[in-house]
Amino acid sequence: MAGTDRNDTRLETLFEAARGAAPKPSADLLARVLADAEAVQAAAAPVPRKSAPRLRWRQFVDAIGGWPAMAGLVSAGVAGLWLGISPPAALDDLGIAGAGTDEAVLVGMLPGVELALLALEEG
Amino acid sequence: MPLDAMDDVPDEALLTLFANGEGAAARALTLRMTPRVMAHAYRLLGDRDEAEDVAQEAMMRLWRIAPDWRQGEARVTTWLYRVVANLCTDRLRRRRGVDIDSVPEPQDDAPGADQALLQKARADALQAALGQLPDRQRQAVVLRHIEGLSNPEIAAIMEIGVEAVESLTARGKRALTDLLSGRRAELGFDDGWD
Repeated sequence: MAGTDRNDTRLETLFEAARGAAPKPSADLLARVLADAEAVQAAAAPVPRKSAPRLRWRQFVDAIGGWPAMAGLVSAGVAGLWLGISPPAALDDLGIAGAGTDEAVLVGMLPGVELALLALEEG
Repeated sequence: MPLDAMDDVPDEALLTLFANGEGAAARALTLRMTPRVMAHAYRLLGDRDEAEDVAQEAMMRLWRIAPDWRQGEARVTTWLYRVVANLCTDRLRRRRGVDIDSVPEPQDDAPGADQALLQKARADALQAALGQLPDRQRQAVVLRHIEGLSNPEIAAIMEIGVEAVESLTARGKRALTDLLSGRRAELGFDDGWD
């Protein structure tokens, strides 16, 4: 038993020597390992989107309330265009001042727009 | 983040930072892990050049697995020791048939040299003896007695039970004692081995 203990002690002396004699990685190895790391990171990095205008369009759609709101907006636009091109006969009976003449008629549907336009013109 | 600020960051957190593209984490992990991986590979292979190759390959596997690393499932060191052992085993299999006598022997005049030379002679003698152990015994002895890991940690690395680890290390130490018993003078043990 004493012999086993003595052998263990001697082995431990050798293990200790081995711990102190571990070869250190060369500067070249460390550089290669780091280069591998950076290459893997670069390959995994997200590629910047090229379609920036598309992103703005999407933001616009989101801002007005998404595609359902967009559909309503388009419908209203098409209806307005149709009324302008081919007004129903019923509108003739409204007796709008200037209708049927060469005079232009400005009907203010959005209060304040004229003031805003005036401000823009005056700089 | 400055490199010295990473000193207290656990390995697993560093790996997550690395996966997120943090350059400082790459440098910190390189400096922290490469020496351990390199030393372990050398102890299993006994060849510095091959150990460097294994270290670079093991670290490359770590970089690649980083995005898929699951926190809490394993320790980075445990995973790396396992990868190193597998890479070394592959190389040792390819190397079979190489003359065992080609392993460098300690210098005969080591006992008369200074303490540093004696320490080197002891380390070389142990390395030569380790090279003659079966692969699994060598791995268990190195992990337990040189790397200083606990038996449960070694069991996790080797994917065996704790009792099997104890058996491997006990048999490995007995074999080392037998292999080194004739070298008392070279190793500075004047009263010999029992």
